[in-house]
Amino acid sequence: MSTGTYTQLLDLACGVFLLAAVLVLWRRELTAFVRLFAVQGVALAAIAALSGIHEHRFELLAVAVGILVLRAGVLPYLMRRVLATSGETRETEPLVNVAASLLTAAALTLLAYAAARPLVELAPSPATRALPVGLAVVLIGFFTLVTRRRALAQAVGFLLLDNGITAVAFLATSGVPPIVELGVSFDVLLAVLVLQILTTRIHATFGGTDIDDLRELHD
Amino acid sequence: MSAVGTVAVLAQIVVVVAGAPLLTGLMRQVRARMEGRAGAGVGQPWRDLRKLLRKQPITPVGTGPAFRLAPLLLVATTLVVAALVPLASTATPVRDSADLLVVVTLLALGTVILALAGLDTGTAFGGMGASREMTVVALVEPTILLSVVALSIPAGSTNLPTIVAHGVHDPARLASPASLLAGVALAVVTLAETGRLPVDNPSTHLELTMIHEAMILEYAGPDLALIELGAQMRLTVLLGLLTSLFVPWGIATGTAAAALPLALALFAGKVALLGAGLAAAEVFWAKMRLFKVPELLTGSFLLALLAVGASFFLPGN
Amino acid sequence: MTFAAATSAAATSAALAPAAATSASAASAFAAAAPAGTTSVAATLLLTAPVAAALATAAGYAVLGWRPATAWAGLVSPATILGCAVVLAVRVPGHGPVTGYGGLARADALSAWILLVIGAVAVLACAASPAYLAAENAAGHTDARGARRYGILVHAFLAAMAVAVLVANLGVLWVAIEATTIVTAFLVGHRRTRASVEAAWKYVVICSAGIALAFLGTILIYYAARQAGISEASALDWPVLVARAHELDPDVTRMGIALVILGFGAKAGLVPLHAWLPDAHSQAPAPVSALMSGVLLAVSFTAILRYKVIADVALGPGFARTLLAGAAVLTLALAAALLLGQRDYKRMLAYSSMEHMSLIALGAATGTRLAISAVLLHIAGHGLAKSVAFCSSGHILHLRHTTRIGRVRGLLSQAPVLAAAFGLAVLALLGFPPFSLFASELAIARAGFTGPAGLGWATAAALVLVLAAFAAMTARTAHMLLGPAPGQNGGAAATLVQKDTPVQKDGAAVAVPVHDGGTTTAMPDQDAATAMPARHGGGIAAAPVQDGGTAVTVPVRFGAAVWVPLAVGLAACAALGVSDVPLSSLLSTAAAITGGP
Repeated sequence: MSTGTYTQLLDLACGVFLLAAVLVLWRRELTAFVRLFAVQGVALAAIAALSGIHEHRFELLAVAVGILVLRAGVLPYLMRRVLATSGETRETEPLVNVAASLLTAAALTLLAYAAARPLVELAPSPATRALPVGLAVVLIGFFTLVTRRRALAQAVGFLLLDNGITAVAFLATSGVPPIVELGVSFDVLLAVLVLQILTTRIHATFGGTDIDDLRELHD
Repeated sequence: MSAVGTVAVLAQIVVVVAGAPLLTGLMRQVRARMEGRAGAGVGQPWRDLRKLLRKQPITPVGTGPAFRLAPLLLVATTLVVAALVPLASTATPVRDSADLLVVVTLLALGTVILALAGLDTGTAFGGMGASREMTVVALVEPTILLSVVALSIPAGSTNLPTIVAHGVHDPARLASPASLLAGVALAVVTLAETGRLPVDNPSTHLELTMIHEAMILEYAGPDLALIELGAQMRLTVLLGLLTSLFVPWGIATGTAAAALPLALALFAGKVALLGAGLAAAEVFWAKMRLFKVPELLTGSFLLALLAVGASFFLPGN
Repeated sequence: MTFAAATSAAATSAALAPAAATSASAASAFAAAAPAGTTSVAATLLLTAPVAAALATAAGYAVLGWRPATAWAGLVSPATILGCAVVLAVRVPGHGPVTGYGGLARADALSAWILLVIGAVAVLACAASPAYLAAENAAGHTDARGARRYGILVHAFLAAMAVAVLVANLGVLWVAIEATTIVTAFLVGHRRTRASVEAAWKYVVICSAGIALAFLGTILIYYAARQAGISEASALDWPVLVARAHELDPDVTRMGIALVILGFGAKAGLVPLHAWLPDAHSQAPAPVSALMSGVLLAVSFTAILRYKVIADVALGPGFARTLLAGAAVLTLALAAALLLGQRDYKRMLAYSSMEHMSLIALGAATGTRLAISAVLLHIAGHGLAKSVAFCSSGHILHLRHTTRIGRVRGLLSQAPVLAAAFGLAVLALLGFPPFSLFASELAIARAGFTGPAGLGWATAAALVLVLAAFAAMTARTAHMLLGPAPGQNGGAAATLVQKDTPVQKDGAAVAVPVHDGGTTTAMPDQDAATAMPARHGGGIAAAPVQDGGTAVTVPVRFGAAVWVPLAVGLAACAALGVSDVPLSSLLSTAAAITGGP
């Protein structure tokens, strides 16, 4: 693959990756969250595969397939099951309204760009220049986690955060060593399973998955 | 600049003026067919204009020059824009003036004039429409400016013909994230600027929701004809601008005379296709509640901002 | 060590030995093998055994379930951990770090020390578990399935912590610490009440998100290391990173270290991502609270200590010091403020954990060798004292069926042994001699005043805040322990209502700790002017009546099972405070790893 095509495709994948995160803030339907997360998983797998092809490290292709299966297949499937059992479809009233969320996302993107300056300057390349995308998704994920009130939306926020971190890993260093990558993926899968079960329990004990109902414990 | 360039400018103006009502007619026709109606035919907007132009001019009591001059100014600004934008050729005598910022400002000027006219009538509807329109414009303008910045970074200039020529010569640029994000953002604000669904519904007079129609409620006769023509031309020019920026193939970049007819035909075809597509999509859209409009426009603003960001951190080669 | 107090590994391990006897044979086998030869097989076994034993115990519970016969088998894995830790503690100061699995697993003095603490606290917690679960079962809060899950998860939790301590690869360290979050999530939500489900949700979300930041930091360090020319295989290897830390790009490392301190700080209960801590610690079963508070916080903090070594070389000591000192003072201020108005004794203990973690962070910020030894001693002392406090709070909960401080009164006259254990544990946490926290707090304060410039003010502020926390905890605990014993009203009333045998047996079960303490419970039918409503008291006796049959198999052992772990823990903490001679070489070696001059 020529450098030009590689850069072009990498940029496109990064663009889709960031856009999916932003659209999560824009949408209110929980099913859309899950769909966007799956799209983002595909983009992430594409980033991994592209860096593998570019550096002629073909074991990264296997990692990319793993990411595709986990983040575009298994995790969205688990979340759809949560949706099916809870029967809730919308993020009714986020803590910060949608317009303000979008403006915040814009500010967070600029912040990510500023914060990533030293990272890019250390080793400028098409991949590291895209590092702000990963950091922006991390920040947007954190923001989603803090401001969205449905249990599933918070889970999606956590997963956005995690996707962003994985993207940073691939863009900066073509991924972490395989044993760590394996451990991290396993942890993420288990975390989502735990969140799934807890969501079901919240639904059973509180009669809904609005996190604002969780007011038993405070000082 | 050669005579071909001058001809190109004139041809652009003629095509826009003659084609704008036809485009509107086409869009209504597509919509009618998709809704299972026969439709009035593509030429109906022209017949409406002819009917209105024959009527006696009339102005409401108490209105001033703002009301009377608005239709003329609206059409005039749009004509200038039609001359500046490289719809068919980038090698025109006015190319040095064809800055994207100038074009955007001229379009905004038309909007402001119309809002002033709406206020000038002193009626409740006029004021309401003007206030809503200004709200929308306030949200639209930053988006447009940011999209412009995003598009001008790869080309290194805000000059429209330069940007378009750059796109023609380096098509890979058009698939970059910055360009795509800016494209989506500009498409959204185009819908808002031209008062289309889902921001405004051009075919109703419902006081709860109307924006554009509320401002021009007091117009009649030839004035109304000019306003209608101006609005139709704005739609045509903006759709043409979108195609020039994002699907620039076929636009003449040189002074060869033969390229011009082809470019004009392609321009007409592209805009007709885009308009028909838009009309088809509108069948499936519902008008957005007014307080949700800022959400949509903020979203497009964010996309434009991301486009600017992406043009920095995803700069391609 | 300049502070007078010192410790006793012999005392600690000797005191714990009876409990650990079941699996001591395995540990002694390692003890025999390891000092004799430097074979890699012995090293690998030594590094594998803690994890393997814990996993095997978890698997055993998965197969056999939790029943009276298997309840005490839970001591196998903590005893193995303790045994391996003792062997490492003996071996490492003289012979240097033990490595295995091609450098992936590594135990230096710091690992050995933390593993020792994990082993000791885990022995206490696992020894307290059978009595706790029996009481939970009797009260109908859990069942056989819940108990089996408890057995599996607690030992998986121990395995994850052992991995976190024994790996050299910082990526795997992160994986192991995140695994502790996942494993303990269902332990926090064990009771399935609204409060515990809420606590579990907050715990998972805040901790996972917080620790994800630590992973981002890890990746940035990895990036800096790769750019410095370190190979992929060893770019996350802690010894390699420490050796070549001066080559790392300072800007990237600065970002990475800040994220790591923020992320692992979340897991260690430091501001700003601390909000899960009081909820999770107050809702988890008491032995699990003991483990989470006593060692999990320390394990996460050890990760910060390891990164601090890299940061000190790559960025100079000022950066990590500023972050840690800031986090410490803020955490302390928050904990002290919330302790002042605290009305729930389990939450009180949780905030006390935050208070102690911030002292530990302050000591780490000081960073001198003296300060780090004090920090490590503090970790051990806090682990022991806090596990005793949490385990006894679990028994108080079973006795009084409330966690409100206002409704617990007169504990000393109702259950003297339990009250004494709780009171002594709180005294230890407040920093009274002879407990080791006295020595370590003093040493941290001294190091703060004599150490690097600028920390004096932070230390002074910390001392004032500690004083506020001290006052609050003293007042709350005094309220709980002193006064007349009102709880007997309900029991007596219930006994009067139903005179058949099961009730008598349950009454006995409730009163057992009291009898064990050697005092007679007069059960004077005091007036209704008591803190506990009669309705509530009726509820206590009534609840066990229905399915009391299974629970009452314990009464005979109930007494010993309750007080032995508590007494052992307090004795160990006191012994550690009296003399640290047997451990001093390990302590100084460990302090030398992370401490400055």
